[in-house]
Amino acid sequence: MNKKTDICQQLEKQIKELQDGNEGLKSKYLRALADYQNLEKRVISQREETAKYAAEKIIKELLAVLDTLKKADQHLNDSGLRLGVGDFLRVLIENGVKKIEVLHKKFDPNFMECVEIVENDKEDEVIEEIRAGYTLWDKIIRVAQVKVGKKKTQVKN
Amino acid sequence: MSKIIGIDLGTTNSCVAVMEGGSPKVIHSAEGRNVIPSVVDPVKRVVGDVAKRQIVINPKSTIFSIKRLVGRKYSDKSVQHDLKLLPYAIKSGRDNMAVVEVAGKTYTPQEISAMVLQKIKADAESYLGEKVTEAVITVPAYFDDSQRQATKQAGEIAGLTVKRILNEPTAAALAYGLEKKHAHTVAVYDLGGGTFDISVLELGEGVYEVKATNGDTHLGGDDFDKKILDYLADEFKKENGVDLRKDPQALQRLRDAAEKAKIELSSSLEAEINLPFITQGKEGPLHLVTKLTRSKLESIVGDLIDSTIAPVEACLKDAKLTKDKIDEIVKVGGMTRMPKVIEVVEKFFGKEPNRSVNPDEVVAVGAAVQAGVLTGEVRDVVLLDVTPLTLGVETLGGVMTPLITRNTTVPTSKAEIFSTAADNQTSVEINVLQGERPMAADNKSLGRFILDGIPPAPRGMPQVEVTFDIDANGILNVSAKDKATGKSQSIKITGSTGLSKDEIEKMTKEAEAHASEDSDKKEKIETRNKADNMIYVAEKSLKDAGDKVSAEIKKEVEEKISALRGILESGTKEDLEVKTKDLSDSMQKIGQAMYQNQQASSPKPAGEKPTGDDKNGEDKKKNNVKKEEVQEGEVVS
Repeated sequence: MNKKTDICQQLEKQIKELQDGNEGLKSKYLRALADYQNLEKRVISQREETAKYAAEKIIKELLAVLDTLKKADQHLNDSGLRLGVGDFLRVLIENGVKKIEVLHKKFDPNFMECVEIVENDKEDEVIEEIRAGYTLWDKIIRVAQVKVGKKKTQVKN
Repeated sequence: MSKIIGIDLGTTNSCVAVMEGGSPKVIHSAEGRNVIPSVVDPVKRVVGDVAKRQIVINPKSTIFSIKRLVGRKYSDKSVQHDLKLLPYAIKSGRDNMAVVEVAGKTYTPQEISAMVLQKIKADAESYLGEKVTEAVITVPAYFDDSQRQATKQAGEIAGLTVKRILNEPTAAALAYGLEKKHAHTVAVYDLGGGTFDISVLELGEGVYEVKATNGDTHLGGDDFDKKILDYLADEFKKENGVDLRKDPQALQRLRDAAEKAKIELSSSLEAEINLPFITQGKEGPLHLVTKLTRSKLESIVGDLIDSTIAPVEACLKDAKLTKDKIDEIVKVGGMTRMPKVIEVVEKFFGKEPNRSVNPDEVVAVGAAVQAGVLTGEVRDVVLLDVTPLTLGVETLGGVMTPLITRNTTVPTSKAEIFSTAADNQTSVEINVLQGERPMAADNKSLGRFILDGIPPAPRGMPQVEVTFDIDANGILNVSAKDKATGKSQSIKITGSTGLSKDEIEKMTKEAEAHASEDSDKKEKIETRNKADNMIYVAEKSLKDAGDKVSAEIKKEVEEKISALRGILESGTKEDLEVKTKDLSDSMQKIGQAMYQNQQASSPKPAGEKPTGDDKNGEDKKKNNVKKEEVQEGEVVS
């Protein structure tokens, strides 16, 4: 009789151990599964993001070329070149690039970098755009470089 | 538990990293950069890149290099020196401590640093998606108690409990895990944006102690940029008589170009500097078009690099060590990417510096490692094994067909269907291979077994599913199952991942060394397999066609078959390709003959590979249309 209870107790203990072990494994399994699913979601969203901004590096490099073409356009005043620059811009726009409008706006360091101060009554206003800034979709890929107005007294200060 | 972040609060730039899944990860700023300029406008409360962009408008209210003032008295020699260099107002505050004055209000350096830390905290929180309240912050090894206290206060003002103030060189050593390699003495060479530090560390009780430090508080990347800029401007002046430094707009472009060229010359030998329409000359616009070679750059900045050696020597002397006693060298700071800097350091110590971690990030990474040790996260990592080498089976012609490629995380399993190579083949041998070489014989055979009892059928018909399964313990189970009969056989291979490191390295190296000859060999065998298959299909077609094709065509095809068979073992890849094409062309005549014969029933495709059949069918149709031409062509050949 005693022996039987012993075996029963032992078995019960074993069952308990197995149940506990099983619980632990189940929770680990679910955790791993959840980790995996989260990873999958992140991979999908990252892939979309990557695709959207894949061209960022080359576009940034092309912007420097665009700067040169625009400068040449200003100096040469050639109608063919002007068409070319227009085409170039159109392709960029179609691919999500947008120029940041800065002229005569209040200086905002989030979108612009001040490279020079000019004496002007228009305090804190963008007087001249030196290098255009651009966004790609909703991300700033290059800030504009601008000249900002300051009243005379303040320049001395 | 919330994360502890590791912060490198630098003079020019700051950087933040955190432990994630057991490895340190650098957190990018909201602007998408790995570092944040240590620049603050305390009035407008803007920090980093944004503050830097308005420095020209607000030179007196934009504070940078605040680290030079932190925890120092106004009367300090160094403060008195910096006073002349920094454009903002520095005053003497409570207890004679140095403070800055902006728009009539005074700020302690702690408050300014706190604004940088707040930005770092916010960026880290948005990345992690949870509140961050604790940090490890690094300081230069020479910082005294007052400077360390001030740094700690800056953290507290920003809402961060500073769990530890860590020496920058120690952090750099931690980032490389040098304490685990038991590197006894370490030299840390830190050439940053505005300062140069050299430190010697010694390992004691598992912790690095700083034995000596030295350096130059006013030597860094900015000085290099200035030298390059001056060189370019001088050259331009010589040629065009215009000083670009006098034109702020041109100066800005030149400054950007100089920095860009410096960075480019770290990876290439020559950089092109192209600044069209840089300024207006007497006869129209002027362009700056020039090339800068790496050797020219090195001669321009050579004296700057050489000037770092004297402090290194002094530091070693203080540490009472000779340079041959240094076990490891760690380089920190963006300037240490420059090949000449690496060369000079290497020549001095006679040892290659550690360089795998990004030198801009290495201190922050080390701080994150320290933070990970504090949270116990470094211990918590579950390491999943990967298969170090590719596993596969041998297929027709002794080719290794991979099933599980190297670096796959285990447990994993993969199954693929194979078939027989000959008619009425009743057994297949599965040879389990490990290695990166395309030919079976060059790889290691882990074991082989035979699956028999496959019902007799034309080749390519039976479907044998081979499954590779590796469990979490690295035990490989390979089974083969005949789909028709359900008969299966399997083998268990233990220790398939248990190769020694040397073995793995050797096998991988061999694969790289033999890559091109191996792929030639494999291509040849594949060509031969294709030829062999073509012979098989041709013979079968002849048999199927029976007397529906003329003896003439039959003879032609048979001749071509024997020609191809004759060179099957000996011919070159090109010969095989030509003869295979010959045979394939002749075979089309069989097809034509079949179509011309109105009574002919359609050929029986059963038993042949479906793909092969489809293609033949297509060819036949095509040929039917241009019958005359093709036949003429055939006669000529």
